Amino acid sequence: MTVRRIRRRAPLSAALVALTLGATACGGGTGGVADQGGGGDTLTLWHMEQPPNRVEAWQALIDRYNETDPEFPVEQQVQDWNQIYTKIAGAVQSNTQPDILFTIPDFTTYVRPLGKVRPVTDVVEELDGEHRYIEAATAPYTDEDEVWAVPMYGMVQMLWYREDLLAEAGITEAPETWEDLLAAAEAATGDGRSGIALPAGKNLATDQVIYSFMLTNGAGDFFTEDGQPDFDRPEVVETFEFYDRLMEFSPPDSANYSWGEPQAAFNSGAAAMAIEKGQYLMPFEEESGRPAEDLGCAPIPQPADGGQPGSIYYSNAAMVLSEDDARAEAAEDFLAWLLQPENYGEFLNAEPGLFLPLTEDGVEAESWTSHEVITTYRDCVDQMLEQSRSGALFGFVGGQYVDEIGNISGQNVLAQVIQQIAVEGRDPAEAVAAGQQMMLDAVQG
Amino acid sequence: MSSTAAPGAEGGLRTRQGGAPHRSAGAAVRPRPRRSRRGAGTLLGIVLVAPLILLMLLVIGFPLVNTVLLSFQDQGVVGTPSSFVGLRTYQAILGDSALWESLRRSGVWLVGNLVVQTVLAMATALLLTRVGRWSKAARTWVLLPWVIPTVAVAVIWQWLTNSNYGLLAKGLGVLGLDGVQFFADPDWAMPTLILMNSWHWFPLGTVIIFGALQTIPGEVYEAAKVDGVNAWQMFWHITLPLLQPVLFALGLVGTLWSFNIIDSIYLVTRGGPSGASTTAPVMIYDTAFKAFRASEAAAMSVAAIVLLGILAWLYIRFAKPEEV
Repeated sequence: MTVRRIRRRAPLSAALVALTLGATACGGGTGGVADQGGGGDTLTLWHMEQPPNRVEAWQALIDRYNETDPEFPVEQQVQDWNQIYTKIAGAVQSNTQPDILFTIPDFTTYVRPLGKVRPVTDVVEELDGEHRYIEAATAPYTDEDEVWAVPMYGMVQMLWYREDLLAEAGITEAPETWEDLLAAAEAATGDGRSGIALPAGKNLATDQVIYSFMLTNGAGDFFTEDGQPDFDRPEVVETFEFYDRLMEFSPPDSANYSWGEPQAAFNSGAAAMAIEKGQYLMPFEEESGRPAEDLGCAPIPQPADGGQPGSIYYSNAAMVLSEDDARAEAAEDFLAWLLQPENYGEFLNAEPGLFLPLTEDGVEAESWTSHEVITTYRDCVDQMLEQSRSGALFGFVGGQYVDEIGNISGQNVLAQVIQQIAVEGRDPAEAVAAGQQMMLDAVQG
Repeated sequence: MSSTAAPGAEGGLRTRQGGAPHRSAGAAVRPRPRRSRRGAGTLLGIVLVAPLILLMLLVIGFPLVNTVLLSFQDQGVVGTPSSFVGLRTYQAILGDSALWESLRRSGVWLVGNLVVQTVLAMATALLLTRVGRWSKAARTWVLLPWVIPTVAVAVIWQWLTNSNYGLLAKGLGVLGLDGVQFFADPDWAMPTLILMNSWHWFPLGTVIIFGALQTIPGEVYEAAKVDGVNAWQMFWHITLPLLQPVLFALGLVGTLWSFNIIDSIYLVTRGGPSGASTTAPVMIYDTAFKAFRASEAAAMSVAAIVLLGILAWLYIRFAKPEEV
C-alpha cells in the first residue's frame, strides 16, 4: 500500500475505530467485572454502601469476625448502585458472582432471574426464632414459599424540620397534615430561604418521597391482584397535585435534586424542611453549626380528610449466591453472626439512625442504643421505629410480590410523572395517565 | 568501516545510494533474493502487527458482533436467556419517536460541542503562542480541566450552578438574572451540559492546535507582515488554511467521541429534566440497564453505528481539506 493510499484511508480508519469503540461501549456486552466475586478461600461480600464511614465500620466488624478463625474469612467489596445491575449480570455469566450480595426488595426481583440466588428460608426461620424479626422485614423477600434474602436493616422516611427556622416563621408545632405542611412551607419561604427542599430529579430519591405521600393518601398499592399497574387513580392524581403545590416552596432547581441537595440545603439553612431517611441525624450539628435540639422530626404529614399514617419503608437484606453448599453455609453463618445483639449494633451504627434494627432484640441491643447519635436523637429514633410500623414499599404492599417492579422503579416512573407536571406544566391527571402507560410498557417489556 | 564491509553489505549500500536505475539493474541481475527480502519484510510486518489486530478483534470485534447478534433477539435483563426474533426489534425501535428525538438531541449535543470546543481550543492555542511569562505559565494550567476526572467536573458544575450556594447562580443573581436554572430547566440543561463538557475537553484540542501552530514557519508570517497584512488577514489566509488538516482530524475524531459521551450527562441530569438531555447514548443505557431491554438497546446501538458511519463518510467526503 502506498503512502498516499495510507494517507487517504487514515481518516476513515480513525473514524471507524472511534465510532466502533463508542458503539461497543454502548452495546449489549455484559461489560467487564473489575472486582471479581466468589472463589478462593474467602467469602466475597458485595454491598453498595459507599460512604467511607460505613465501609470502615463494616471492615472493623469483618476483621473481628475473621479473627474468630472461620473456615472462610470474609472480604467486602464496595459496589456502585448505578453499576451493580451490569456487574452482577456479568459476574453471574462468568461464574464469578459474590457469595453475599446486599439488596433491596426490587433489586432482588432483578437478580433472582439470573439464576444464582439461593433460598435462605431455613436460616431466616432460625434467626426469626432467635431474634424475632418484625413482620415487614421478611415479607418483601418472600415469594414462591421461600425467603430469598436475609433481612439485615430497615430504612424509613420522616419529615425533618429546623425548629429554629420554623420558629422564626411563627411555626411552633410540627406539621401533621398536608395543609399544615403547605402552610409551614409557605411561612418559612422568603429571604433567600425555601420552606422545604424536595427532590424532583429523575432518580430514586424523588420516587421515594412521592411514594411516602402516596401512602398517606391511600395510594400506596397501585397494582391489581394479578400484578398489573393500577396507577391512574384519583388519589394518585391528588398526591401529585399536592407535591406540585409543595414544590412552589422548594428551591427553583429542585427538578435536578436527588439525595444530597435537599440535605445540603437543610443543613445550610437554605431550606427549613426536608423529607428523607435517618441519615440526617449524624452530620446535623457539624454541618449546620446548630445544636441537636434544632433538628426536629415528625411522621410524614397526611391529608386531613381520609389520610392515614405512612412512609416508604423497606428492609435491606443479603442474598446468598455461593456456588457450592459449603460456601453458602459459611455465608449464612456470617450473616447470623452479624445479627447477634453484641455485633448487630456495631453493624447498624455504620450509619447510626439510618440503619434501623429489624429484630426485637436488636432494638434493645446495648451495642446499638449506646451510640452517641442514637442517645442524642433518641426521640427521633423512636419516632422512626414507630413510623416503620406503617411503612411500605411499592410492589410489596400487603404481601404483594410484583416480579416486574424493578422495571418500574428502574425507570423512575414516579419521578418522570412529577417532572412532566412541575417542569413541563402538564396537567396532573394527564401526567398520571402517561405514568400508567409507562408502567404498562415496563411490565409488559 | 566501508572498506572492511562484507560484499553483501556493500551491495546493499550500493543499492541504497544508487537510485532507481541501480535498483532496476540489481533487480534484473538478482531478482529472487530481492523478492525474498521483500517477502520476509512483509512477513515480519504481519507478525509485528498481528498481536494488535488480534487484540482489536478481541476487545472491539467480539463485543461488536455480540451487539449485532443480540439485536436480533428478545433479551430483557442482560445475560438472561433469549430467542431469535429477526428484525422485529429493529421495527419496534425505528418506529419509536423517542429514539429519533434522542438522536436529534445527540445532533444538538454533537454540533454544540464541536463548535464550542473548537472555538475555545483555537482561541486558547492562539493566546498560548504569544510570547510572555503568562502564556508560558498558562501552557501548564490550561490543561487543568482536562486532567480533572469527569465525576469531579460534574460535581464542580453542580455546585457552581446550585441555586442555594452556587457561585455562578449567585453571581447571576447579583446581576438580576437569578431565574436561570441551569440543569433544572429543559431549555438550559443541554446548553449548560455542552458548556460543561466543552470546558472539560477543550484543552485536548488546545494542545493539538498549539502543536500544529508551532509547525508553521515564522518566515511566512514575517513575509506577510512585510506585505502589510493585518492580524485578521494573517489568521484567515495563513493560519487557518495551514491548520485545516489538523482541524479536520480533530473534528472527525472529536465529533465521534462527543457523540458517545454519556458520563457527563448521566452524572448531572440523568437525561432530565423531563428528557431534555436524553441523548441517544443515554437512551441506550437506560433501555439496557434501567428498562432491562437489552436487545432493544443493542439494536439502538447498531442503528447509531450505521448513522455515525454515514456521518463520518459524509464528513470525510465533503470536509476533507485539499492535500497541501
